[in-house]
Amino acid sequence: MSLVRRLLMVPVILLVIYTLTLTLAWAVPGSPMEHEGRRPPPEVQRALERQYNLDSFGSFYRSYLLNATGLAYLRDRWNGTLADEELRARDRGQAPPERPVFDLGPSLQYEDWRVNEILASSFPVSAAVGLTSIVIALAIGLSAGVIGAARPGSWADGLSLTVALAGISLPSFVIGAALLMLPGALGIPAVGGWGTLSGLLLPAFTLSLAPAAYIARLTRMGMLEAMDSDYVRTARAKGCSERRVLLGHALKNAFLPVLSYLGPASAMAMTGSFVVEKVFSVPGLGQHFVNAVLNKDLFLIIAVVMIYSTMLILLNLAVDALYRWADPRTA
Amino acid sequence: MLRFTLPILPLALAVALVVWSDRPAPRADFVFVTRGDITELDPHRASWLQDFRAIALLFEGLTANDPFDPDFRPVPAAAESWTISPDGRTYTFRLRAGARWSNGEPVTARHWVDSFRRAMLPDTGCEYVNLYQLIDGSREFYAFREAQLKTFVAREGYAFPLRAARALWDEAATKFDELVGVRALGEHELEIRLYRPTPYFLDILAYEAFAPVYTPLTDLYLRPDPATGRMNPESGWTKPGRLVCNGPFTLASWRFKREMRFERSASYWNRDRVRVSSIATPTIEDPNAQVLAFRSGAVDYLTDVGPDYKSELIRDKRAFRAEHAGPAAAARAEGLSEPDVDRALPPDPRKTIHTFPTFGTYFLNFNCSARLGDGRDNPFADARVRRAFALAVDKARITDQLRRLGEPAAGSVVPPGSIAGYAPPGGLGRDVERARALLAEAGYPGGRNFITVEILFNKEGGHDVIAQSVAKDWRETLGVSVQLVQKEIKVVRTLLRTNNFIVSRGSWYGDYADPTTFLDAHRTGDGNNDRRYSDPGFDALMDRAERETEPGARLELLRRAESILVERDLPVLPLFHYVSVAMFDPDRFRGITSHPRQKQKLYLVDRRDDGLGPDEPWRDRPALEPPDAPGPIPRHERDRP
Repeated sequence: MSLVRRLLMVPVILLVIYTLTLTLAWAVPGSPMEHEGRRPPPEVQRALERQYNLDSFGSFYRSYLLNATGLAYLRDRWNGTLADEELRARDRGQAPPERPVFDLGPSLQYEDWRVNEILASSFPVSAAVGLTSIVIALAIGLSAGVIGAARPGSWADGLSLTVALAGISLPSFVIGAALLMLPGALGIPAVGGWGTLSGLLLPAFTLSLAPAAYIARLTRMGMLEAMDSDYVRTARAKGCSERRVLLGHALKNAFLPVLSYLGPASAMAMTGSFVVEKVFSVPGLGQHFVNAVLNKDLFLIIAVVMIYSTMLILLNLAVDALYRWADPRTA
Repeated sequence: MLRFTLPILPLALAVALVVWSDRPAPRADFVFVTRGDITELDPHRASWLQDFRAIALLFEGLTANDPFDPDFRPVPAAAESWTISPDGRTYTFRLRAGARWSNGEPVTARHWVDSFRRAMLPDTGCEYVNLYQLIDGSREFYAFREAQLKTFVAREGYAFPLRAARALWDEAATKFDELVGVRALGEHELEIRLYRPTPYFLDILAYEAFAPVYTPLTDLYLRPDPATGRMNPESGWTKPGRLVCNGPFTLASWRFKREMRFERSASYWNRDRVRVSSIATPTIEDPNAQVLAFRSGAVDYLTDVGPDYKSELIRDKRAFRAEHAGPAAAARAEGLSEPDVDRALPPDPRKTIHTFPTFGTYFLNFNCSARLGDGRDNPFADARVRRAFALAVDKARITDQLRRLGEPAAGSVVPPGSIAGYAPPGGLGRDVERARALLAEAGYPGGRNFITVEILFNKEGGHDVIAQSVAKDWRETLGVSVQLVQKEIKVVRTLLRTNNFIVSRGSWYGDYADPTTFLDAHRTGDGNNDRRYSDPGFDALMDRAERETEPGARLELLRRAESILVERDLPVLPLFHYVSVAMFDPDRFRGITSHPRQKQKLYLVDRRDDGLGPDEPWRDRPALEPPDAPGPIPRHERDRP
């Protein structure tokens, strides 16, 4: 299937995911408006539910779709509602309310925040940490894989295998907590929170270990396979240096499986991790995957699921595009 | 190589930009951390304690409680004085001529009328609308608006539904002036007429849900719903740069999940009494990280200390007090509050932890309806059974061995000492023999033929160990079988609402200085009566108290009503009264109250040795003291008009 056709399929896939997510989230027991403490009078409860369209699946489904796709915005622009609003605000010397084109709705848990604002403030954070972690993972994974493949069975290979095993099996909250305590144990002043360099690098490093291990194993396997192949023998016969054989010829082919792994891995890393964000106090997206469900914050649940799905689809598409460039055989 | 690094460069720049945009801000004069995030700054829509704490910094009601008055009395705030008519129903407030909104505009009586109207409209969804309905005509106005909206929905096919919705809303506004007993008598004179005399009305006015909003701003955020005709309130106006308020502080910044920052308002009428120029509250979610931040000096006040080792900290504090028993007793004899007693003692790191009594009670609910949700007969419909179960519980084990925070075991629902002039009944103690006898009398000797009792509770907050302890008592003394049922809080709430429980854990915090804030939830048919308790005698006493105008006699009627609850019928089994465990250094900060009402007015906080206001004697001071020589005004405020 051509890339263009796959791109055209994206909205359809997203629509299916939206429908499934909303159906599941709607079925979760408990009302989003119920919380600990005093219960508002029943008529107030009803008024709140009606305000957010929580009283009917159909009207919620429809209104969310209209608002999120920007159709509602276009309609309000078209029929003059927004112009009216701006006029009224100007009459009173106030700035008109902000009306985003793609309105993802209010958060039911953080009542003064719109989901748009929440995403705008937490997605860049998760993306920054995630990107950094992918870069670190590539650096660690590729070098460990190459070293292992260059001398299979050597102590260096054993070490890289051990590190990879540790990276995959140690849970991130253990690594994270250990990293947090390290400076204290070494007598260095405690590391800063989010907004400092260490606030970026520590969580990124914690997040990078599992993908690094995976990349290391993928690279090693691919390299070993390539080392046995004819073109490597040819390269050696030509008199290429061992370095050039490893990095210029074998790695190029061994990298292909890593490339296809990078798509889902980046989508995962860039949408944040609940545990790592908690340990390092990172104001990212990951916490909302858990908290939004616990609080039945419908608008936020849909938004984070949609963000993750979109990232996954687009990054996989990007990987496929890169594949064609890296491996002309697939084109 | 350049081929690979070139695309990395913009990405690296973007990452650096994201991190840099969240670089640490300079430290505020006073930094506090609450248990949960502040989620809502609209006084009419907020419902969480931490939200109201922030709202108290930004908005000022007609009255405000003085947290350093032993009776927590309401004192003049936005109103400088008032008169009450002889029948106790009409209040006339004189507003301060110097009061200004943060945009510089004077606060007028009309603003107050409009703000009250907003709170009373069903569209707003104010959770405390029933308190507003003490005002004459408020119920009728609510019903009028609901009827109006019903006709809107019934009459379909408006050519211009939005315009029609707005027209209806304007009509409702006119109707408000006609129906409701809130009137602007002049620029600075406001009259409020109640439908019945309410001796605690001034205290209700001090509640943050009665703070005024600037309706010229909030009205812009009303969005008409073409389907229902409602004017849905939206939240965008509570952001820095937009929010207009009349309180001691303004909102300087609010960064989601990062920090909220307040700055002393240059337009507040009593700004000389405000002794800190900036207050910040960062988001620190992990309870242990909160304590570490306090210890490192990054945080000055933790409103709720979370980690389990807090009971050890409290034990250390007791040891410290024991070492200075003599001076502490002398200070107490002087009538000093607990933080002031700490201030009279030598400096010590152990004294930074504080346990204050609160306005909250932890209890168990018994389902009192004749049948359970699944149709079975409910043995707990019999008051003797409930009393038997109450008498069997060892509350001291829960407070002394499980909670270990020094919380008093509870006999009543109203915490003793929290409401001036009201002494709650003593309740039931533990009496195993009587418990067994009562259960036998009800037809279940030795617990035979009794249903399996289920205790329903939510996951967070250590309710499981309390439920286990209660279950053990019931199994061992009454011979019944008990099961624990643990669910998510939202599921628990739904099960309670739909009558699908037998016994459940519950808690309640009072809102205003009257026993009814605890007792109303036990009236027949009340929306918060999860227990489905109904007793004509109790209801009659509550009704009589409502009509009684003599305060002493009224409180006596309420005491008798509470006695029915906690000594005879036991729809609730009070286990203990909560304490709040806080951390702050009393030698560096003052202005944090130890009164059981625990409504913290953080604009009264003062930092020692910062040159703002006199520091001696270093004691908590009443909210409205005679103005002293104003301290130096911080530089950033001097330049403003």
